[in-house]
This record gives sequence, C-alpha cells and structure tokens, in this order.
Amino acid sequence: MTELKPSTKNKWWKHPDVKKTFIFWLIFTPAIGIFGTQFHVLSMPDPASEVMGGVIGLMRLFTWAAAPVAALVFAICATALTSSRHYGDNPPADADHQISNSPRANATWIVVSAMLCLFALVTGLVVLQKEGDALHEENAIHVNVTGQQWAWNYDYADGARSEVLYLPVDVPVVFHITSKDVKHSFWIVEMGIKMDANPGYTTETAVTPNKIGVFNVRCAELCGLLHAYMQNKVHVVSKADYEKWLADRSALEARS
Amino acid sequence: MTTTMNHPAAAAGKSRTPIIERLNIVTAFALGAISAFVVWRLALQFLPADSEVRLFTREDKITLLSMIAWFVGFMTGIGALVAPFRWVMGKDLSHDENMFLAGKDMGIKRYFRYTTDHKVVGIQYLIITMVIFGIGGILAMLIRANLGTPEGGLIHPQAYNSIVGTHGIIMIVGTIIMVTGPIGNFIMPIMIGARDMAFPRLNALSFWLIVAAAIPLIWAQFIGGISTGWSAYNPLAGQAPLGMNGYIMFICIFALSTMVAGANITTTVVRMRAKGMTWNRTPIFIYGVVASVALALPAFPVFFLSQVMSGMDRALDTSFYNTAGGGSGWLYENLFWIMGHPEVYVILIPAVAALMEMAPVFTRRPLFSFNVAVMGIAGISGLSILVWAHHMYISGWAPLLNAPFMLTTELISIPTGMLFLVLVGTLWRGRLWMTMPTLSIFALLWNFMIGGITGIYLSDVPADAFLHGSMYVTAHFHYTLMGAGLTGALASLVYWFPKMTGRMFDKKLSWISFWMVQIGFNVTFGGMFIVGLQGQPRRVEAYAALFNRGNLITSIGAAVIMSGMLVLLYGVISSWRHGVVAPMNPWHAKTLEWTVANPIPLENFAVLPVVTSDPYGYGKEKK
Ligand code: HEM
Ligand SMILES: [Cu+2]
Ligand SMILES: [Cu+2]
Repeated sequence: MTELKPSTKNKWWKHPDVKKTFIFWLIFTPAIGIFGTQFHVLSMPDPASEVMGGVIGLMRLFTWAAAPVAALVFAICATALTSSRHYGDNPPADADHQISNSPRANATWIVVSAMLCLFALVTGLVVLQKEGDALHEENAIHVNVTGQQWAWNYDYADGARSEVLYLPVDVPVVFHITSKDVKHSFWIVEMGIKMDANPGYTTETAVTPNKIGVFNVRCAELCGLLHAYMQNKVHVVSKADYEKWLADRSALEARS
Repeated sequence: MTTTMNHPAAAAGKSRTPIIERLNIVTAFALGAISAFVVWRLALQFLPADSEVRLFTREDKITLLSMIAWFVGFMTGIGALVAPFRWVMGKDLSHDENMFLAGKDMGIKRYFRYTTDHKVVGIQYLIITMVIFGIGGILAMLIRANLGTPEGGLIHPQAYNSIVGTHGIIMIVGTIIMVTGPIGNFIMPIMIGARDMAFPRLNALSFWLIVAAAIPLIWAQFIGGISTGWSAYNPLAGQAPLGMNGYIMFICIFALSTMVAGANITTTVVRMRAKGMTWNRTPIFIYGVVASVALALPAFPVFFLSQVMSGMDRALDTSFYNTAGGGSGWLYENLFWIMGHPEVYVILIPAVAALMEMAPVFTRRPLFSFNVAVMGIAGISGLSILVWAHHMYISGWAPLLNAPFMLTTELISIPTGMLFLVLVGTLWRGRLWMTMPTLSIFALLWNFMIGGITGIYLSDVPADAFLHGSMYVTAHFHYTLMGAGLTGALASLVYWFPKMTGRMFDKKLSWISFWMVQIGFNVTFGGMFIVGLQGQPRRVEAYAALFNRGNLITSIGAAVIMSGMLVLLYGVISSWRHGVVAPMNPWHAKTLEWTVANPIPLENFAVLPVVTSDPYGYGKEKK
C-alpha cells in the first residue's frame, strides 16, 4: 500500500491491490465452481429421467457461470481485508485517494452481468422449449392424477385406477393433474417434474422415465393437516411388467 | 375511565385533565377489549343462523366483527381520533396540545402514548421490532425442535402448521419494519435536516396500527391458529379454522400502517430536505428508504384487498377464490405475489442502502459510484413489480407466461449486481476500520451472493420445477431476508445506537453476537439447502430418514443463531443502560444526524442546516 509511485497513476493494473485481487480470483474461481457444483450435484438425487439430468446439468452450468463473478467479489473482499485493517475506537487516517467513480469499471460490470443474464435466459429457454414439446408426444401414455387431502389417485386411459403410480420405462407419459379440494403439488422427485394440482382446473406436465426402480412422489404445496404424509412411491417397470400390471388393474376395475 | 370519550372538548374544563392527556396504552387496550366484547356479545345474540349447514360462516362473521370492534376501540382509546374529531367540530389543536402530543417534558410516559415526535416513534418501532423477532425466534426454535427427529410428533400437526405460519408472517412483518421503522423514523428526518416528519400524527398512527394489528394475530392462536403458512393460499385458507380471520385482520391493519408510513416518509423526503440537499447530495440511505416505502405503496393495497376478499369468501359466502362458485385460487396467488415480490425488496433495499451509507465511513473513502447505486435501487424497484409470477411457474396458471417472467426475473440480477459493484468498489483501496458494521458489509456480500445465485437457479423454469416448494426455496429466502436484510438491520442498530440512545453499543458483545449469528446462520441454511436438493418439501412436520443429516445440521445451527441473538439482546439492554456515553459523532461521519447533540433536542436543529456537498468527502487528494 505504501510504495505507491506517481507513475502508477494511469496504469491501474500495476497497483499492488490489483495483483493481489487477481491472485485471489484465480484461487477462488475454481474453488467456488468446484465446491458449488459438488454441493449441488452430490445432494441431488440420481436422475430417473432426462429432464432431471437436464436440471442437474443446468445447475452445474449456472454454478460455473456464476463462479468468476462471485470469486471477483470475494477476491476484492479478501484484498481489502488483508491490505489495511485498523482496530480501535478512533478512525484510521483517510484513504490515500478520492476515487468516487470509474465509468470503465461501471460499464464493464454492467455489460458482463447483462451477458451472464442473457446466457442464463437462453439456456433456460432452450430446455423449456424441449419440455413444452414433450406434452405433445404422439405415442405417450396419459395418466390422470387427482390430489385430495392427503393422497394421490391415478386413472389410466383404459380404465385402470390405482393409488400407486406405475410407469413403463422409456415411454413418454403425460400427466393431467387436478385436485378435489385444495391446492396440492404433484412432484416426482427423481424425475425433476412438478405441477400444481388445482381444484377445478386440469394442468399438464410430461416426462419420460429412463430408469427402472422405485422413486418418490411428494406433495410440494402445503395442503393442510397431513401434508407431510402426502407422499408415495412410483414404480418404474419394464414395458412387459407394465402391460401386465395394467391388465390386472383394468380387470379389477371392470369387476368392481 | 372511558365514559367521557364522546364529549372531549366540551367536558375538558379547567379543573379536569383534558381528554387528550388521559389517553394512553391502557385506555386503548381497555376500550379495545370492551368494544370487542360488546360487539361479540351482540353478534352472538342477533346474527341469524346460517341457512345451510356450513362450516364456520356465522362464527367467521362474529370473529371478524369483534376484531374490527377491537381495532376501532383501540385506535379511539389511544387517541387517533382526537384531532379528526376536533376538525369535525371546526377547531384545531392548540400549540400546547401539539407540544403535549410531541411528548414535551414527559419522560418515559411518552412511549406509551400517541406521541408524534419522530424520535419517540423510532424507539417504539425499535422495541416492537425486537419483540417481534423475539417471538418469531422462539417459534423458529419450536419448529426446529419438532424437526429434530424425522417422525416429528413433538407438536400436533395442526399446531405445527400454525407455528410455521405465524413464524413466517411475523418475521416478514418484522423485517419489513426493521430498518424503515426504527432508523427511518428516528434517524432519517435528522439525516435530511428536518425538524420532524411531514405528518407527525400519521407517524404515530403508523406505529399504533401495528400494535392494534398484533392482537388479532395473538387472538388467532387461540381459535385454531394460522395453519396455512404465511402465504395463506386459498382455497386452503377458506377451509382453515377461525384463526384465519386473525391473519386477515392482522394483514389489513398492517397494510394500513405501511401505506400511512409510506406516504409520510415519501412526503418528508421529497418536501423537507435541508437547503442545498439536492438529489445528488442526498445520502444513499435516504434513497433506500424511499424506494422501499414507495414500493410498498402500490404493493400493500393489493395485499389488503386480497385479504378482504379472503375474509368475504369466508364470512359472506362470496367466491372470489372458490372455483366451484366461479372464482379461482390462481387469483389469490396472483394478488398475493403482486404484493409478495415487491415486498421482498421492500425488505432488502433499505438494509443494503444502510450498509452503503456505512461503507464510506468505515473505509474512509468516498462511496463508489453514487449514480450506479441510485440506478441499481431504481432498477430493482421498477423491475420488481414485473416479476411476481416466478412464484407461480408450476402453478399451471399461465405456462406461456413462464418465459417472459423468467426474462424479467433474470433481468433483476443486473441492478442487483450494481449494488454489489458499489459495495466492493467502496471496499477497494479503503482503510478498513474494523467494527461490527464493517464486518456486516462482508457478511452481506457473502450471504447476498449466495441468496442471489440461488435466486437465479430458482428463476430458471426447468430448475424451479425441481426446486419449487422444497426446503431449497426456504433456504434461498432466508439467505436474502436474514443473511442480507437482517445483517444490514443489525449493523444499522449498532451504527446508529449512539445517536438513538446516547450510548455506544458494547463492542465486544457486538462482535461476539455477529460471529455467532453469521456462523449459525450459514450452518442452518447450508443444511437446509442440502435437504432441499435431496427433495424435502417445505412446511412438513415429518420427513424421510434420508433428510436426517441435513436437518440435524440445521437444528444445531439454529441453536447457535438463537444464542447469538441472546448475546445481542443482552448487548442492547446493557449498553442502553450503562454503556459508554457516546460523543456527538463517534464514527467521524459526515451525514447530518451526527451534527446534532446527544440527547437530541425536541426539534432536532435550533437552526436548520444548509448542505453544500455530498456526505462522502473522505479520502486525501493524491499529491
Ligand atoms: C437476485 C435476485 C433474486 C432472484 C432472481 C430471486 C428469485 C426467486 C424465485 C424464482 C423464487 C420462487 C421460488 C419458488 O417458489 O419456486 C423466489 C422465492 C423467494 N424469494 Fe427470491 N430472488 C431474488 C432475490 C430475493 C431477495 C432479495 C429476497 C428478499 C429479500 C427474496 C425473497 C424471496 C422469498 C421470500 C421467496 C419465497 C417465498 C415463498 O415461497 O414463501 N428473493 N426468489
Ligand atoms: Cu400437500
Ligand atoms: Cu419473487
């Protein structure tokens, strides 16, 4: 801080604080990127659909895009904290400059944040578009989902009914969701889809499960007393098993 | 004691104490309670029974009517109607009466009356904010206690839901008033060189409305609670127990308070700045306060209305939100978030602006890019009324609007980034004077960075389809509301404590509590991010074993926050009572509030100041 020479006046990058900040930035960027992505990716469940894979990918991408900016802010903080600290009940001497503006810094900052913003928007829109198309999949199976306090009911196209969701692997599904009483939210956790169940309206969402297994359906909207228990399993099974289950179910329904 | 109420001027003979001097918090509570009881009894007697078998409707009417009666009685009893009554009679208050209302030579009693002095109102706000945070904090500890084990079960689910809802709404109210209330009222008028607020009586009104609002909320706890979460979505709210009426009344009265305060503060700043205080020389904190209340001005009438409609659906069988009757729950969601999103910036902006105000003081250099700071505040305020439906991406209301709302939401990160630029720019090459407010600047940058980046994930529609309704959202908004907002408010408390109380805030205690709160906070909500990502929904009283670890982390962190807050509370009490007596300008700052003596005279300035430069002239000219 002390060896300020007049010659540094125009060459701002020669200032010792700049070097320090740059070094901090070089360390912080990968640290934040790696920690941030690991934190998110490790915590999230293993994807059971392409959609969920996409969500995890987006989070990873956004984290890396944000890392340099966050790192710059923290690097400046670290530089300030390590350069000049004063403890005591009286103030330190005033700083050795009166910089109250820097059009160049302002402009750079605003342009960079605008570009990051645009980037986030475009990536989001691309994925959104894909998911919108999924609703119009030709060979999709259709399931009517009805929420009520505090359980889910599933109606299949050919008359089968169930309180537990069965889905064939690798076949697109379109859910038509509604509610009998208050708002619920239909969330298949590992597939990364969620859509509110509104009384009096039907809403749609779609997904293609790509993994055989048992996954979680949880209600994601406070719906009264037993909201916490409004959860269930979804079984993703092979196509053959699914057909069999469906036939059993329809027969059962036809008998009753 | 209240029988003379109806003939104030006439009855006030020389020998008797005039009515205006008899009214205080005791008469207010008494009159409120009496009128509530009378109306309750009358309604019970005379309201016709419901024709069909309906849950609640008649009881709803009775509850709401009694609460309204409480409200009217309380406001009358505190003296809010004295002046309007005089005007109706064609008279005005005398000078002596106005001085009495300002609390002249009254000592401690003025804090329990309809006092108009902005400094008294500021202290009243400070106390009520602390009470709110205290109660909200205890409720939070109850929540964490219940979530200590996956099965929950410590608290009955209905009570648990109610605790969550009450915690949520009172903390929101607490954070809304935490800066604009105490600091905005006490410090702001002095900072702009004024003798009082533009409408001193409205100032008193805005505070006492909050007290009046508190009772229906407490009342609600005994008649079924607020089992809907703070957002009180319909149709769930329509089917909730009678306690919901308490929420409705609470919001309506609080919204009135906010509107009154907003009009008052805006007018004061626009009209009453000192000579020479051009917009370029107006401190950035003032911009923050004005932006906050100016955002509240359009937002809170909507909140008010949404609750009136909610109450009508319950009590009068209308169906604004009832699909079967032609309404829609989506209408409620829209109204709620048209208020709700601006409201989060109502909370955030003054807290950040306060830290911007302190940054030059504690770095001993000018504020970096004042213009960018103003642009950032203005940009956020403008954009924040255009983003509300990002809370409804997956509600199914209007899927086609998701893309435009994603655009506006992500655009907000540009003005938000400007606030960061101003703060780091001011830290750049500064001489740090290490105090608790200085540390808070760093804490804000850290927490708000995390809150902001997670906000970007949430604003991305596909990612939100996974994250919405999960603990991740809860963690996000705690990072912004508490990590950024409350951090700024606590720094404000320590920074302006010497001016507000005449004593310094104990340095050691402020540091200890700072570290405890900040570390506890990051542990708490770091853990909450984890369980959110793992898939734990919000507002649940039991959870799958999978979420054990994260919840344990969160509960431990919460205990640390609570301990840190207790240290802070001890610091407030002990410093207020016997802290080091503060000099006039302990921080060697350049804004006007530091030019008035301690204790501050009733009218602040004997001679009004004239301003000739901005208050950020720190730093030495380079040779
Ligand atoms: C950087 C800018 C921010 C962005 C992009 C952002 C984005 C979002 C989004 C998209 C949601 C909805 C999440 C969902 O329910 O699925 C949300 C929720 C929320 N945000 Fe932010 N946010 C930002 C800053 C803030 C700030 C500064 C505050 C408060 C001071 C705040 C408070 C909240 C609250 C209270 C909620 C949730 C309310 C609830 O559902 O109960 N946010 N945010
Ligand atoms: Cu639910
Ligand atoms: Cu929002």
